[in-house]
Amino acid sequence: MMNRCSRCGACQAYCPLYQETGLEPFVARGKVELLDLLQDSKLQWNDKLAEIFSTCLLCGNCGDNCPNKVKADLLVREGRRDLVVARGLPIIKRTVFNHFLKKDGRLGMMAKLFYLYQHSGLQQVIRKSRVLEKLPGNLDLKEKILPNLSSREFRKMVPKVIKTENSKLRVGYFTGCMTNYVYPQTGFSVLKVLKANKVEVVIPEQGCCGIPALASGDYETVRELARKNLASFNSLSLDYIVTDCASCLGTWLEYPELWQENGVNLLVEKIMDISTFLVKILQIELPNPVDLGLIIYHDPCHLKRVPGGRENPRALLKQITGNTRFVEMKDADRCCGSAGSFHITHYQLSQKVVQAKVKTLESRQAQYLATGCPACMMQLSHAFSEAGLPTKVVHTMELVAKAY
Amino acid sequence: MDKEIIKKIKGIVGRQRVLESFEERLCYSYDGTVQRGIPALVVFPENTQEVAEIVKLANEKEFPIFPRGAGTGLSGGSVPQDRGIALVLTRMNKIKEISKEDLLAVVEPGVITEVFHQAVEKEGLFYPPDPASLKTSTLGGNVAENAGGPRAFKYGVTKDYVLGLEVVTPQGDIMRTGGRTVKNVTGYDLTRLIVGSEGTLGIITEITLRLLPKPQAKQTALAIYDKMENAAQTVTAIICEGIIPATLELMDQTTIHCVENYLNMGLPLDAEAVLLIEVDGSPGQVVEEMKLVKVACEKNGCRQVQVAAEATERDRLWKARRAVSSAIVQLKPTKISEDATVPRSKIPEMVRRLKAISTKYNLYLPVFGHAGDGNLHPNIIADKRDHEEMERVEKAVAELFQAALDLGGTLSGEHGIGLMKKTYLVWETGDVGINYMKAIKNAVDPKGILNPGKMF
Ligand SMILES: Cc1cc2nc3c(=O)[nH]c(=O)nc-3n(C[C@H](O)[C@H](O)[C@H](O)COP(=O)(O)OP(=O)(O)OC[C@H]3O[C@@H](n4cnc5c(N)ncnc54)[C@H](O)[C@@H]3O)c2cc1C
Ligand code: SF4
Ligand code: SF4
Repeated sequence: MMNRCSRCGACQAYCPLYQETGLEPFVARGKVELLDLLQDSKLQWNDKLAEIFSTCLLCGNCGDNCPNKVKADLLVREGRRDLVVARGLPIIKRTVFNHFLKKDGRLGMMAKLFYLYQHSGLQQVIRKSRVLEKLPGNLDLKEKILPNLSSREFRKMVPKVIKTENSKLRVGYFTGCMTNYVYPQTGFSVLKVLKANKVEVVIPEQGCCGIPALASGDYETVRELARKNLASFNSLSLDYIVTDCASCLGTWLEYPELWQENGVNLLVEKIMDISTFLVKILQIELPNPVDLGLIIYHDPCHLKRVPGGRENPRALLKQITGNTRFVEMKDADRCCGSAGSFHITHYQLSQKVVQAKVKTLESRQAQYLATGCPACMMQLSHAFSEAGLPTKVVHTMELVAKAY
Repeated sequence: MDKEIIKKIKGIVGRQRVLESFEERLCYSYDGTVQRGIPALVVFPENTQEVAEIVKLANEKEFPIFPRGAGTGLSGGSVPQDRGIALVLTRMNKIKEISKEDLLAVVEPGVITEVFHQAVEKEGLFYPPDPASLKTSTLGGNVAENAGGPRAFKYGVTKDYVLGLEVVTPQGDIMRTGGRTVKNVTGYDLTRLIVGSEGTLGIITEITLRLLPKPQAKQTALAIYDKMENAAQTVTAIICEGIIPATLELMDQTTIHCVENYLNMGLPLDAEAVLLIEVDGSPGQVVEEMKLVKVACEKNGCRQVQVAAEATERDRLWKARRAVSSAIVQLKPTKISEDATVPRSKIPEMVRRLKAISTKYNLYLPVFGHAGDGNLHPNIIADKRDHEEMERVEKAVAELFQAALDLGGTLSGEHGIGLMKKTYLVWETGDVGINYMKAIKNAVDPKGILNPGKMF
């Protein structure tokens, strides 16, 4: 794939990081040049390269618009994997992945990190492990970006099987870590809508989908997590699997590419975003009008690339009747800059990227901004509150649930 | 690079505006070609004063400067020569003025071409030069390369729109050329000298550009031909009707196959050529001209003409043209884009010769491009890792240049000489021409500070 890059520079026009910095090492073209040299052993991994390769949102916008179909986001990830093999993970990530993700696969990295930060001696741990150096400056602001943890885990608040009378279908629900620890209201909204549509929901034992490790190039950890999740969902008989987290969906859809073992059902035909399930499978109609005012939608990078990922959430929002109006936002599909832990490790740059969204909102005072990925929700709500914007950031499902 | 010099440069632009690490410098070692050269330092000035100070310093300490816009050049023009500094002008990106009364705009060199298009069109104005790289290329780069585009046939190229410049000379002085008037004969035409000088005669720090009122209407058509000859004849026939289409683009069979394979838009695979024709102007004139175009196509053995009825249809036709450069790399990964240009009447002959070259050297050589102005884009598609093939490519390129010159054409219609074509320059200019150019260069840049190694 790398060979196809003609160094035409077209990616400059599409890379949110290039738009903010004007720096060639941050755009796909620069990264491909460096990867080319690495591949030919003309360069060796070092701190500078690690920093350059950590500076990518993996948003894929360059690849979607590359005339030669170079998927730089995938190449960068491969680069990060290579880096992990060559030099190992940075100490902070190693700790998080080994202790939090792998051993206790049920805990989201962010949630655990900040649960610990808030409730334990992690502050000391962090100082000792020199995380502060990895997170230069603005630590107080960075802390603010992290939402308060839910007092209880979503999955502990609801039964494992939620039956309805005369249920038409039986679906498994992959809640993702963020819904589980941070945004339980999304989970409740999903359940409310599914129940009203006579769908039986099963929430089996599950862990992190693996995206933090995947984005960091630690494929081994992803495989371990995937194995556990697949075993758990494969043990049930389900018509479909739904998720409310675009990032989790994106990762599930990649399991086959990470997988070498035969005989495991990878479930890629069954898993889908909740909006796709509601629009394409159930073809729901919203029962009640609600007054929500002006609503807009932000495309998560991981959702816009799956079939129907742009259309289905919009179809749901447009269906809401009453004093509610859906308006398309300018550059709705531009990456918000959250990109997993990027908004922590590269706080300032990430905040620059999100300013484009803030500007749009300033000229268009919407009541709600809906989106389909909790990571985007976190980033956008932080940016809006810093800018003093009144717009509430919600999951699409929260608005849909209001019509029930 | 000398620590002292780096310190001084940081003193001029600020430490934030300099990249020093080897890895970052590698990201400024290329442009849109296969040429490479790593700068010793990458510097991002923000105003004319800073540029001038850096150039003065360069003269004092004798290090070369390689001006750079977006680095989309196709002749190696901005590629540093493993030394000196890459002077990146993208941070100087203000549109300073758009004047409806004077029909002009004043801009800094780092403004992106498309951003400028959008800004003037918002005012009901029009800046015609439209290189295919317009989403990323800078106006400074466009001026330095004298960029053209599909609209050049009717509207001309960048040089036809440059009224005046502010230039930092190779010795670090600030010079103004031209002005705000279309007519200006005061002294030598230094504006024209700087336009297309590829960063060798001065660093452009401000550009005054002529604008036009935006055409009210346009119509687009796709004409399909069984025979390449007929397509080429049509080009001449349309012009003989007294019509100058805004765009007249040709694609040969190889190109059609690639595009169709890429987009699946229903292009006829058995056609030898298609023409994409666009006329613009007042609504009445556009309808009238399109009628005449259609007649000309039909008279010249065209199989079918599709006139786009609405905007979506027009976009679809344009999509085919825009997809070309990506679609052709399906054949092989390395694309050697040439832009040899011939007088319009010689297009059929040039196409014939290109086919012969393609057969002789057994290379993919899809032909597409701006037929209206004779600027065909013969692209050789090869694999740079195949050395034997690349040797054939080199021979084919030389033969292709020779063919263009034999037919009274030129080596380069719009991409410039840079590194890629400098060995061939003498074929076109002769020794006298080259010596004249060198004399100018040596007079203004005795120490060879600006973009050395380029052009000759
Ligand atoms: C996909 C693709 C399509 C293209 N299509 C076209 C086309 O249709 N028509 C066409 O004409 N070209 C085309 N080009 C070539 C290229 O985009 C143009 O030459 C463009 O003008 C270069 O602009 P840039 O900002 O990238 O300049 P760069 O590549 O950075 O520099 C080009 C030259 O200009 C000099 N330079 C840059 N800025 C300044 C300045 N401020 N002062 C002095 N010198 C300066 C550099 O030293 C160098 O010699 C295409 C390129 C690509 C990759
Ligand atoms: S990644 Fe794609 S868009 Fe970017 S320089 Fe390479 S070919 Fe061009
Ligand atoms: S994936 Fe996104 S951030 Fe990374 S290079 Fe591509 S466009 Fe830029």
